[in-house]
Amino acid sequence: MDTLIDLGGGFASALEPLSLAFALLGVLLGTVVGVLPGIGPISAIAILIPVSFGMEPVHGLILLCGIYYGSMYGGSITATLIKTPGEVASAVTAIEGYEMARRGRGKAALATAALGSFLAGTLAIIGLTFLSPVLVQLANVFGSTEYFLLMATALLLASTMSSGSRAKALISIFIGLAVGLVGLDFQTGLPRQTFGMSLLSDGIDFTIFAMALFAIPEAIRNLALGRGAKDVIQSFGDDTWMTKQDWQRSAMPWARGSVLGFIIGILPGVGPSLASFMSYIMEKRISKRKSEFGKGAIEGVAGPEAANNAGVGGAMIPLFSLGIPGSATTALLLFVFTMYGLQPGPLIFRDESGLIWTIIASMYIGNVALIILNLPLVGVFVKLLKMPKEILFSSILVLVAIGAYAIEFSLFGLMLLGIFGVIGYLMDKGGIPLAPSILALVLVPLLEDNFRRMLQISGGSFMPLLTRPVSLSIIVLMVLGIVGPIIFRWWVRRRQLLADVSVA
Amino acid sequence: MRTLTPALRGDVITGIAVTLVGAVYYIATFWIQETKNIVTPRTFPAIVGIALIVLGLFLIGQAVYRSRKLAEVVPAGAASASSGASGVASGSGAADSGVEDEPAGVVLDAPEEPKSKQVVLQFALFFIYLGILIPVGFLLSTAAFLMTMTSIYAPHRWIRNLIFSVLFSVIIYVAFVYGLAVYLPVGILG
Repeated sequence: MDTLIDLGGGFASALEPLSLAFALLGVLLGTVVGVLPGIGPISAIAILIPVSFGMEPVHGLILLCGIYYGSMYGGSITATLIKTPGEVASAVTAIEGYEMARRGRGKAALATAALGSFLAGTLAIIGLTFLSPVLVQLANVFGSTEYFLLMATALLLASTMSSGSRAKALISIFIGLAVGLVGLDFQTGLPRQTFGMSLLSDGIDFTIFAMALFAIPEAIRNLALGRGAKDVIQSFGDDTWMTKQDWQRSAMPWARGSVLGFIIGILPGVGPSLASFMSYIMEKRISKRKSEFGKGAIEGVAGPEAANNAGVGGAMIPLFSLGIPGSATTALLLFVFTMYGLQPGPLIFRDESGLIWTIIASMYIGNVALIILNLPLVGVFVKLLKMPKEILFSSILVLVAIGAYAIEFSLFGLMLLGIFGVIGYLMDKGGIPLAPSILALVLVPLLEDNFRRMLQISGGSFMPLLTRPVSLSIIVLMVLGIVGPIIFRWWVRRRQLLADVSVA
Repeated sequence: MRTLTPALRGDVITGIAVTLVGAVYYIATFWIQETKNIVTPRTFPAIVGIALIVLGLFLIGQAVYRSRKLAEVVPAGAASASSGASGVASGSGAADSGVEDEPAGVVLDAPEEPKSKQVVLQFALFFIYLGILIPVGFLLSTAAFLMTMTSIYAPHRWIRNLIFSVLFSVIIYVAFVYGLAVYLPVGILG
């Protein structure tokens, strides 16, 4: 009941004209930036963080949350119409959605994506509304041991559950940790890993790192490609919207995707991208129309898009109630909170409850705004796809430079941006995923702080990890979380082999 | 030394680079002053450095091991052709006997790779821009940078490039300085 009262209060302030305007602006801006090919939610938020510097915390956060889910939706438009996913989460949409668009079903694909995102997003926010207070209660018994464990789990899961090589995902995490440790040690004030440069003693700014890693390599790569093959934009003007059959075929994937995405989203360290992949796999497995997959099966758009957006809501839960981000994007949001001097976690629900509930309420509003704005405006957004690449990507380079300047106001900050841009490019070329290192960079101060406190309290012993009941339960869950997927993979492969055999 | 496939050769290079970075990072921890705490300021950086070295070596070992295995299964000529296209989906066991590791076999198109020379050029221009941004000022350096970048890409549309470069610089300048109170460098115009 208290929750509903809090939420009601949140709605009251989220519906104030200015808050409402920022929520709308956020989803609109997010969609616009998300539509631009090659720019996903992470780059979108990172580029737009400097814009929120001068704002009231609540407005800045409403804006950036709106940008987050707006850009997720924008990404699916791009994936459907030109097969260029801005981020991993829409990569599967690029498979089925694009095929649908090629067959003149583009509008249906966009509609099922939008409706699925809306339903799943709203369900996930309802989950967020009611689960966060519960988790906050639980968090009251958390000590540094549990926090350390949770953060270590987040990093471990981020590496084991990403697609591609696990060793490379781990490398990415350790690169993030390495960067995060540069600067003065917060406990003793001693300089660390500064290589004698006093400028490095403030550490490396998170936004600069995120912008450099996510925006620069993509921009440089596209500019360097030069005038090559032009993207073919699928037209969809004469398509029909969803037919009755489309609705029937989408309903269950939406539902399954929502549940799956929400659960995966809550797991620390696992973002929405895995949710959309898992949903796609699941839909393909249980579909009666397996042969249609890869040729434009609507289930393959409906499920993953729902899962993707449910994952966004799910990922907000550990962020808000524990202060632990579940993915690179929520790591960015955590950074924005701390930028405003706020520390998400149990305390924020007590000390800043008005603010946090306003943000949660604004998410409901943002989701509604997303569907009202986007389906009618999709024709306008598609025009953005025609923006010449050289203009788009050179503008992005200018914007990240402004961002870096606005943070450091120095040549040093600008050079850091360039250098990490090169590092990001090389990582990308070496097949090292970029997102885990962002997560690691945000977590490193908390991780180290709790690690130290844990060992100081126990006098150097690691035993509290096993003797404290809460921490032991986390360990059990963690083991299940890591062994589970391995068994799942094994099971899928076995089924696949059996299926292949029976077909033959 | 047996010839490695392009993907695996890439892994060896990446592994070497990561090992070296880890080594430099670890060596740098020797300069961190020790304290008497249980966990000293050095502990975490040292763990990170060692982990990078271990992971780098692991990557090299894995690539060499896989190339051996691949050479046993497939004749040398066919090997490079098959793994060149492994792209994003190459999981931990993509090379072993043709079984896709990714559960559903979700294969993403590998993005097109630009020429290294072009990449170096683009980065060089970007660094020049970053270098002149403060002394020359935002308006002039940005207009020049945008004009250069767009003209390399589309030289024949120089009028459009010029209009875009000037307009974009001015609009962004006004928006940031007057709208968001982020004061951009004025440089020689100031």
